[in-house]
Amino acid sequence: MATMKFLCDTKRCIECNGCVTACKNENDSALEWGIQRRRVVTINDGVRGEASISVACMHCTDAPCQAVCPTNCFYKTEDGLTLHNKDTCIGCGYCLYACPFGAPQFPKQGAFGSRGKMDKCTFCAGGPEENHSDAERQKYGANRIAEGKLPMCAELCATKSLLAGDAEVISNIFRERVAYRGSKNAIWG
Amino acid sequence: MNNWFKQISLVLALVVGTMFSALSFAQDAAVANPQATEGQIWAQLQAGATGETTSHGQFHNQPINTYDLRVLELRSDWLAPALMAALFGMIIIFVLFIKVNGISKLHGGFSGKLVYRWSKFDVSIHWLGAIPCLLLILTGLTLLAGRFFFQPYLGEGFWAALIYGAKQVHDVMAIPFMIGWALMTVLWAKNQLPKMYDLKWMLVVGGYINFGPFKGKHPDAGFANAGEKLWFWAFAIFGLVISASGMLLLFPNLFEPSRTLSLIALILHSVSAIIITAFSIVHIFMATVMSEGGMECMVSGYCDENWATQHHNLWFDEIKADGTLKYKK
Repeated sequence: MATMKFLCDTKRCIECNGCVTACKNENDSALEWGIQRRRVVTINDGVRGEASISVACMHCTDAPCQAVCPTNCFYKTEDGLTLHNKDTCIGCGYCLYACPFGAPQFPKQGAFGSRGKMDKCTFCAGGPEENHSDAERQKYGANRIAEGKLPMCAELCATKSLLAGDAEVISNIFRERVAYRGSKNAIWG
Repeated sequence: MNNWFKQISLVLALVVGTMFSALSFAQDAAVANPQATEGQIWAQLQAGATGETTSHGQFHNQPINTYDLRVLELRSDWLAPALMAALFGMIIIFVLFIKVNGISKLHGGFSGKLVYRWSKFDVSIHWLGAIPCLLLILTGLTLLAGRFFFQPYLGEGFWAALIYGAKQVHDVMAIPFMIGWALMTVLWAKNQLPKMYDLKWMLVVGGYINFGPFKGKHPDAGFANAGEKLWFWAFAIFGLVISASGMLLLFPNLFEPSRTLSLIALILHSVSAIIITAFSIVHIFMATVMSEGGMECMVSGYCDENWATQHHNLWFDEIKADGTLKYKK
């Protein structure tokens, strides 16, 4: 049993938005207009200390979205991913309030909370529907995990800044990188 | 996030600051340090720094929003069980109380003479608030506590339909409830001001206890007794909190609340709901079962003369003295 995580190495991210494009393309069938599951944020843009980081659902072990959802539509997979059932979602928006990473998004933004079904990164693992079914493709997008592959964003990252995989494996890769960099200040960030 | 909204969230932060002192506001914590060097990036992100992004998604320029994660446990571990207790617990307590204590009968029976007490308009605004209030309690309970107390016993499809229906009814019923709340609060406040004799009423629990030193007591009461006044002011205050927090949640596109403010609104909404629910149960029991002849007031607007003299003696004396006493023809 793996515990799947994302890790973004800010020393390597060059703000190319390749991960964003890869995600959009891979999950196109499920994405309504305006939904962007992954984004790159650059802090200190244009000044010293500029750094970019690719952000999407972090698949928290103790997920705040899951804690606040009135419908209990979130579930953890055996790979430690936080996924949700769009058939149960009522679009109340509580997960958006609770998520520290701004991952949950809604296709609409109307009065009376008419937001439509929440959408977020699935770690390219689909949803509760049958693997690779039409329903899964329409609601959740790709299911690469069922094919034994990692999420498209990390796979296509040109600088290998964005890592996806078992927490232990990717943190070991990252630790090794930090050791090579040599500077005692060159920890994450 | 526009500046206007920042102002409002700051004001609200001050108001609820004492209750939620531990909650930090992400926007305020965001310290942009242009001289950041290695190792400081994480500290900045953790403090809620915002940056540039090509995404137009809501709040997407902030990688990490920081807030007090205890609000999550507050909902599941305290507020959800408390709302269940406020509804079902109060019903059980009241049923047991009536079994032991008995109800408050009219001593002289019904006189048959009906005294004018509420106008038709008063009766209608009462039900304008009351019917949505009952529906809001039931649907709100489903939304807050349903997943812990109901979902385990329901099928997946039925649960999905139930919670969807609960949300729709909750959203729509909020509007008539707020109108009813506003009208009742404004129009009825003058009869609900506390008086000295209300203290004595409280000391003998309104004379509703049928044993011990309280038995047979009939404390003075004006148009409203002390218990009704307490309910009125609780409803006025927590009705305001529940309406304001509800508006934030209902019209996010209008008020553009921050995520942290929305979470605080959720908590305040639940706390107010618990208090209003508990009071509502008492109010319903008092009117329908406990006080014989009480329900008539909110059906026809008239009350029996014996009921008036027994429960609202000062009011009855007053209208008799100043000639406003009107009988039903």
